[in-house]
This record gives sequence, structure tokens and C-alpha cells, in this order.
Amino acid sequence: MADIPTSSSEVTRGEVEQVERALIDASTRVPVLMFYTSAIVWLLIGTLLAGLTSFKMHMPDLLSGVSFLTWGRLRPAHMNAMVYGWASMAGIGTAIWLMARLSLTTLRHPLLLVAGAGFWNLGVLVGLVAILAGQSTGHQWLEFPPYAAAILFVAYSLVVSWAILMFRFRRSGHIYITQWYLLGAFLWFPWLYGATQIMLFVVPVQGVMQAAVNWWFANNLMFLWFGAIGLGTAYYMIPKVIGRPVYSYHLAAIGFWTYALFASWTGMQRLVDGPFPAWMITASIAATILTIIPVATVGLNHHMTMRGHFQLMRYSPTLRFTVFGAFAYTVFSLVGVIISLRSMARYLQFTQASVGYSHLGLYAFFTMIMFGAMYYIVPRLVGREWRYASLIKLHFWSSAYGVGLMVSMLLIGGLVQGRDMNNSALSFTESTQSILPYLRSRSLSGMLLTVSHFIFAFHFGMMLFGLGRTATVPTFLNPHVEDVKTTV
Amino acid sequence: MKGLTALFLGILGTFAFSWVGLTMIPNAQIGNLEPQMDEDGNDPYPAPKSGMADRGRQVYVGNGCIYCHSQQVRPSYGGSDIDRKWGERRSAPRDYLFERPALLGKMRMGPDLSNIGKRAPVDDENAPPPASTDSTAAAPAPPAPGAGTAPPATANPETPATASGAAPPSPAAGSASPAPVVAAQTAPAVATPSGPAISGEPLQYSAEWHHRHLYDPRSMTLDSTMPAYRFLYEKRKIGGQASTDALKLDDHKAPPEGYEIVPTYDAKCLVAYLMSLDQSHALNEVKSNTPVSPQAPGTAVK
Repeated sequence: MADIPTSSSEVTRGEVEQVERALIDASTRVPVLMFYTSAIVWLLIGTLLAGLTSFKMHMPDLLSGVSFLTWGRLRPAHMNAMVYGWASMAGIGTAIWLMARLSLTTLRHPLLLVAGAGFWNLGVLVGLVAILAGQSTGHQWLEFPPYAAAILFVAYSLVVSWAILMFRFRRSGHIYITQWYLLGAFLWFPWLYGATQIMLFVVPVQGVMQAAVNWWFANNLMFLWFGAIGLGTAYYMIPKVIGRPVYSYHLAAIGFWTYALFASWTGMQRLVDGPFPAWMITASIAATILTIIPVATVGLNHHMTMRGHFQLMRYSPTLRFTVFGAFAYTVFSLVGVIISLRSMARYLQFTQASVGYSHLGLYAFFTMIMFGAMYYIVPRLVGREWRYASLIKLHFWSSAYGVGLMVSMLLIGGLVQGRDMNNSALSFTESTQSILPYLRSRSLSGMLLTVSHFIFAFHFGMMLFGLGRTATVPTFLNPHVEDVKTTV
Repeated sequence: MKGLTALFLGILGTFAFSWVGLTMIPNAQIGNLEPQMDEDGNDPYPAPKSGMADRGRQVYVGNGCIYCHSQQVRPSYGGSDIDRKWGERRSAPRDYLFERPALLGKMRMGPDLSNIGKRAPVDDENAPPPASTDSTAAAPAPPAPGAGTAPPATANPETPATASGAAPPSPAAGSASPAPVVAAQTAPAVATPSGPAISGEPLQYSAEWHHRHLYDPRSMTLDSTMPAYRFLYEKRKIGGQASTDALKLDDHKAPPEGYEIVPTYDAKCLVAYLMSLDQSHALNEVKSNTPVSPQAPGTAVK
């Protein structure tokens, strides 16, 4: 920080840093808002697709006459809109901002990012239209036809080359924990996506290996892309909001490396008893069990950082969403361990429980952390504070209850479905009938989430159009109490 | 900077480890399989799909059938797949040799389809899908299920069982389980496989059954939750003589007088694909399940 000219003696060092941060934030404004706005538009589209998908599961005749609204096309369209439209774009937006802040440099080459966001949107749009037109590839989470994937890859290369440049020009010698995770995510994603595209479409592997590569991709996308961005964000937001350093760097390092090592080996546990060599599945089950180590260290680290400050969740929207997400990460991982055990997988493998598990990871963990990050970052980009605390609260509770209900219905329903499916004294259709009440409740939970997303989009829109509050104090969820830091 | 190099190397190294371990090594192990032949180099299995069935796979993929139907039979210790007559043996990597994409599936909101073609009535003239002969030179006699190359000895220890329990939910024919709503299925199921359809109901898993099931699932399986795929069918004015492939629908579903419902080419391909699904051929690497006696199906329930 020594090279900052502090000409005026009455300017304190703290004030300089504050101005500097504001400058960095301002430089990230256009690209980050572009990623965020696109993400939220995709979130709404994905939500509507999800609603149709969910209702059609227990009302199969709903709109079944229209080819592009048939259930089997809506479902992958929903998943891909959420995975590539919402989650990835929200994640990249957050990662850009964090990278700029932690590298202590104003954002260079914003055009790279703007072009990246444009191409990314184009890729998602082309891919979704292709899926609805019936041109899905049939590989889960990779349904976009190769030409759409190519557009995404171009977009991604623009973003990642920017990120590496940014990191190269960083002014702080120290590399913070968040940067480990972000660098990891930025390097893992292109390898993962590129290698999978090649192994499935360019030089396709034979037969069942396609399914293995597909699961390897899906699990690593969850852990090494979304998981890494989500955990990195939590490592930034929690200490920042409560205003104290991370409890232990040492724990953080153990957590990061064991995560990279073990989480990347998971995936095949979803193929239990399938037509594969048993060692692959066993290796992934073992790796899944070993992920308890990073989960415990990360959880412990966050918990010890938060200790004595949990009451701040009453006030700070960011903290509330982030801590919810960080806790959900622990639950997600433990559920992942339980359902990967052979004795459980036997019942849960082909049931709705796996859908519940995906929502636990992508929504309860990742999406909630992204919401938290947006509540923190957006005011710093638009120079206004969130207008209504009540809307934020409504957003939080409908999201929290919505995803809680959804996940519990799908996990319990999955158990019931699996039990009936494995009981060959019952006709098969009884297993699909027995899950119907749970699917109806899931539709209900989906309605809660729909409400939550539209509220958030409305609130975000207000911020975007300069309708936020002009105030120096952030918007607190509850009346301000003196011991709350202004960094909320 | 030392820390930075270690960070980069670690990030790339851990991932390379997983990439090699979970995709490269398995690929070396099971990624280069050949069709299995008997000692004389005859009877290759599996064979690539015919043109229509191959196109049907794209229809299957494009309409997301995979999100409800799996195509893998687990071994008897790993679930009730074999008890449910979804297959006589577990699936093996070799079964998927020519599948692209391999549609193993991860959800069963509908039954497993690994052997749905095999479970079709034996002498349905649409049943044996023409396996392509041109692509494998060493395939003098592509197996045509039920058509002669497969002698009854290999194909049929199961036949009595399939005949009596052909309903997919196979509710343990003899057992006194309450199994309520299978009326729609039991009617065709009790018919002998070779006999004609009773009272206009198509035999289960025959081509006609598939078409009517796709057009109106609940007319064939009462409590099915499958959506209808009517966009794969055309309503056409009958000019002169009615088409032979027109769907024979119940009165209240039938088109108005002078019109008929006929499958599009895509629908025909899809049905050809479904009828080509057959993993019943014995594989050396897989122990076939000992055939259960027809009197006691489903006794192995855990």
C-alpha cells in the first residue's frame, strides 16, 4: 500500500483504502452487473421451466400435445438454464468482483468480460432452443449440442484469460483463501468442460464409458466449479461482514487441498451396481466418504470465525444467506456420503432422491451463497442501498422454506419410491404412484421459490434503475443496533 | 513466487489425478471391447442398430425418455430388477458397445427398458428389428431375436415365465399380493404369446401396443404417469382406403368419422428402437441368472 500517494496528511490510511476499494468496485461495475442481470433473467426463465416440469410430473396430460413443451424437453431445458444460465453466470460475476478486490487492482480489459458475457448468453440461448427443438445430446448437464457448447467455450476463454491477466497484475503479494478456490475453479472448468466435450463428441469413448465420463463431469462441475466458487465466496463474505479474520489459515489449507483431491474423485458412486468395473464405483464411494475431511475443516473454520457473532445474522442479509449456504454445504456433503453407500444407493439410485440431492447442492448451498454475495456486491456497484428490508426478508424465508420443503420431500419421497421399487411383490407403477404426494408437495415448494425469485428480481431491477436508497448505511434486516459494523 | 507455483501445480495435479484415474484408466480397461462371437466366429453380439432403430434412438434422446427410463439391469443382489423380469442377467459393458449415446439412465419414473424388445410377443412380425449387416463384415448371420438363429434353448428357458408374467410390474403371478390396478395389463398378458389379440387389445410390448401407449399411455397402463406423445402422430383424412398402420383407438379417443391417426416416421423409428432393445444374449463375462420356475416368480424378494 506504500505506493499510494497520501499527499494530504489528514487523510488516514483507512480512508485511502476505502476510496481505493470504491474505485476498484466502480471499475468492475459494467461487466459484473451484466453477468448478474443475465443470471437473474436466466433464473426467472429456469424457474418457469422448473414449474412446468414439476407440475407435469403429477399432471402428465398438462400441455403434452406441444412437442417443445413435452416433459422430457422441459426438464433438461430447466437444468441447463439453471446450471449454465443462472448459476454459472452468477458465479462468474461474483468471481470477477472478488478477484478484482483481492488483487487490489482496478479491472483491466472490461471489454473481454463484456464480450464473454455476450457470448455466454448466446451459447445458453442457442443451447436451450436446441433442447426444446429436440436436439439434446442425451448426456446429463451436457444436453447442449456441441455447437452451443463451442460458443460457451469461446465465452469462457474470454473470461478466464481476463482472470489470469488480473491475477498476474495483482498488487497484493498475499494470496487469500478465496483466491485459491477461484483460481482452482477458473482452471478446472475449462479442462473439465473441454475434456468432456472431446471425450463425448469429438473422439467419443465407447459405450458405457460415456456414462462414466458424463458422471465424472457432472460431479466435478458441482464440486470443482460451483463448489469452489461457492466456498471461496463464503470465505470472503463471512469474515468481511463480521469484521474479523478467518479463524485458521492452516485449517483452510487442509480443507482446500483435501477438497481438490477427494471431491474430484467422486461421481461414479452414482453408478452403483451398473455395468462398470466395481473398483471405479468403490473408489468414488471411498472418495465421497473422505470428503468428510474437507467438509469438517471448512465447517469448523466458518463456525469458529462466526463464534460469538451469530446474532449478526439478524441484521445482515449477506451473512444470513451466506451462513445458510455454508451450513447447507455441510448437509449436502453428508447426504452425499449417506446416499453413496451401497446399502442406501440400492434404494435411492433411480429415485427422486437424486433430484433432491442436486437441489441441495445447487440451490441450498450455491444459490443461497450467490444471493448473499449479490446483496453485498450490488450496492457497491450501483451506489445505492437495497430499498426494502421486508423484501429481502421475504426473499430469504421463501427461499429457505422452499428449498427446505423441496429437498425433504424429494429425499423422503425417494426412500418411499425406492422401497416400493425394490419390492417386486408390488407392481412397478405402485412405486411411481407412491411418490406422487411428495411430487405435489414439491410443486408447492417450487411455488415458494418462484415467489422468492420474482421478489428478488424486482428488487434487483429497482437497484439497476437507480431506485435504491441513497444512504451511507446499508439496509439491515432488522432495526440497527449499535454493535453492528457498518460493513454489512 | 514459491507459494504460487505450488498452488498452480497442486490445482492442476489433483485434477489430472482424477482425470486419469476416473476416465483414462477405465477407458483402457473397458473402452475397447469387441463383439462377442461363438467358437466358429458366428453369432456376434451385440450388433449395431439398423437405420430406423438408430434414428429412433435420436427421437428417444431428443424427447428426454432417459429422464424417466433407465436401460441397465442391476445384479440380483443390487435391487429387484431381475425379479421384475427386466432382464435375465445383469447388464455388462459389452451390451453398450455400439450405443451412442449410451442411455443408462438415472431415474425410474417408468420401468427399465433394457429388454423391452426381447419382451415383445415372439411372432409379432414387427418384432425382430433388422440388424444392420453391412457395417460388420464378420457378421454373416446377425441375430434376429426369435427368428431362428437363436435356438429355443438359449432364448426360451424364460419363455413360460415371460408369458405368464409379461406385465412389466409382474406382480408375482401366483402370490396373493393386493396389486390392485393391473387389469389393463393382465388381459393381454394371459394371452399366449402367439395367439391373436383379444378384444382389440394389442399384445403387450408389440409394435401396436407401443404406438397406442405412446399416443395414450393410460389406455394401456391404467396408472401410468407417462405423458402422451401425440405430437409424434398425425391426424389424417382417410382418402380411399384406411391406412394399415392407423391406430385402433377406443371410441372416445378415436378421431372423427373419416379421419385416422397414423404414426409419423419418427414414431415408427422410436418404436423400432424400443423393439430393438434386447440384452438377453448370453455373455461369457456375466453369469446368467438361474431361471426361476414359472410357479414361483419373485420369491427372491429381499
